[in-house]
Amino acid sequence: MPDQRIATTKVAGTWAWFFQRLSAVLLVVFLGIHLYASHFMDLGEHESGESLISFDDVTLRLDQVFYIVVDYGMLSMVLVHGLNGLRTVLFDFDMFVKRKKYIDVGLWMVGIVTLIWGIVILFPFITGG
Amino acid sequence: MKIRDLKWLFGRNSEFWPTNIKTGMWAWIGHRITGLVLVVYVFMHLSFLSTASISSGDFNSLMEVTSKPLFVAMDFVLIIAVIFHAMNGFRVIMFDLGLGVRHQKLVFWIAMAIAAILIIGGLWALWDIIFVPSEGGG
Ligand code: HEM
Repeated sequence: MPDQRIATTKVAGTWAWFFQRLSAVLLVVFLGIHLYASHFMDLGEHESGESLISFDDVTLRLDQVFYIVVDYGMLSMVLVHGLNGLRTVLFDFDMFVKRKKYIDVGLWMVGIVTLIWGIVILFPFITGG
Repeated sequence: MKIRDLKWLFGRNSEFWPTNIKTGMWAWIGHRITGLVLVVYVFMHLSFLSTASISSGDFNSLMEVTSKPLFVAMDFVLIIAVIFHAMNGFRVIMFDLGLGVRHQKLVFWIAMAIAAILIIGGLWALWDIIFVPSEGGG
């Protein structure tokens, strides 16, 4: 097994290795902003005394370009990191190494479709419902 | 695949047999499992949001449901997974940069100590929602 794992690091490639680290560090930054902004920061919302995050709260936040960038940035990084990580796991198995091209094309497709999906999900908030 | 091909995974002499697993291997297994759990979570998260972002009523009723104690308890499980994964991830990145490579076990336990503190912080933040019943019946 150990020698196999070293071999699969070669299969995954140096760029995959590099972007896994880069996306990991960026994720921590995004997560910090995300947690703070969604659960601790006061945007002047919650006027009703209601502590739940409401549709209007999100709309208010996504009025600012900064938070649109944060949300979409976090989505992109999570997809790069998660799918790239999944690729590493798959390439620990011979049956997937043999089908490397299909795995790569498949993961790219999943990533791009999911990114578009995620971008569209926020449209109602950005346009204000 | 034949059964004996799986000896490296399940055999008594395999490096995965629980008593043969060393600290670094546990770290790797934990990192892998939490990583995969988080991937599943991301897709669940998008699915839920995609059904709820259409109208304000849908969104607010989803928030109503997901703020129930059971869901917040699951959020806590998510917190544990993210914090473990991130802290061990930093450890991996440190070694890639050549830092602490000779003290991997010590670095692991330091990372876990920091993780424990962060997790307790998370529990503290969520405690009231999970354990203190609200007037509305939670
Ligand atoms: C919060 C900050 C995060 C950090 C610092 C982090 C760090 C890392 C690092 C350094 C690796 C590479 C490990 C290696 O090559 O041995 C990794 C792998 C991985 N990560 Fe993350 N990660 C984070 C968040 C996430 C999230 C949110 C997900 C899910 C979407 C995720 C899923 C994965 C997966 C599936 C792997 C592959 C596991 C493996 O190869 O065994 N990570 N992570």
